[in-house]
Amino acid sequence: MSDLEDFKTRLKIAKSKLQNEKSEKKGIFLGNAFKLGTELIAAVIVGTIIGFILDNWFGTKPILIIIFFLFGAAAGITNVFRAAKRMQKQED
Amino acid sequence: MATNPMHQFQVNRIGPKIEISGIDLSFTNASLFMVISATFVTLLLLLGTREKKLIPSKVQLVSEMLYNFIAKMISDTAGKKAKPYFPFIFSLFIFILFCNMVGMLPYSFTVTSHIIVTLTFAIFIFVGVTILGFIIHGFKYLKIFVPSGVPIVLLPIITVIEIISYLSRPVSLSVRLFANMMAGHTMLKVFGGFVISLGLIGGWLPLSFSVALTGLEILVAFLQAYVFAILTCIYLNDALNLHH
Repeated sequence: MSDLEDFKTRLKIAKSKLQNEKSEKKGIFLGNAFKLGTELIAAVIVGTIIGFILDNWFGTKPILIIIFFLFGAAAGITNVFRAAKRMQKQED
Repeated sequence: MATNPMHQFQVNRIGPKIEISGIDLSFTNASLFMVISATFVTLLLLLGTREKKLIPSKVQLVSEMLYNFIAKMISDTAGKKAKPYFPFIFSLFIFILFCNMVGMLPYSFTVTSHIIVTLTFAIFIFVGVTILGFIIHGFKYLKIFVPSGVPIVLLPIITVIEIISYLSRPVSLSVRLFANMMAGHTMLKVFGGFVISLGLIGGWLPLSFSVALTGLEILVAFLQAYVFAILTCIYLNDALNLHH
């Protein structure tokens, strides 16, 4: 008898899961949106830090930090581009 | 002091001070809540796998659903080759999920709202995946910095960009989790403070905001654990199947 009861709750959960599938997908899209922002910022930060370190090594104070900031921005855009491509692949 | 929204992130020592060769290794409230999360995980999975019934109990159902969820995520994003790394990704996901969820309880401490915790996870994954890539592919692994079909003139620039993009992985991974958790908890505390200061007359509006934000925070707590795990899978996939 209790097994039957268990089965009933399981059926209920499975049915509600079918309905919830849509809202679950919405949640995943929200996660993707969070992902893109940090993806862009992180590369810029890393690029600038590399430029800063190299500048300190070679004593060419402002030049390398500017160059690597631009490289970082480029890397950030590449990151975002790739993440967006991956999302499109997931949707198909 | 209690209304200070940043007060909740303070790390306090519990018990005696333990110092080994100049490094403070005392037991803190952060360590306490990590232990609590790990205990919850262990209890859930032990109870869930104690009796393996064909028609599962509720606890067994939850743990089987967790298993299926992660197994499907790994096979979707990283393919069959990633199967051996299932235990690592499963423990990572479930530990972060429980740390986030335990942090949602009143009077608790959110371990993942400290960047040192998330950065440690991220650097561990980053170093591990890089070593794995070199073990599997040898020096050919460096090819991920040199995409195919690029003109020779552009190659030095593209390589630098690729290297920065690769190095930015642990930063984006850790900052995302840390920033989301910290911002959410600060916001909750700020709105909670408004409820007190506006009192019985005006306090209802921030109270309703607080309730809505709590729901959002629970969603974010789950999502961030999910995003962390899925990105680990994607990085693993890059190391296992070398193609760009």
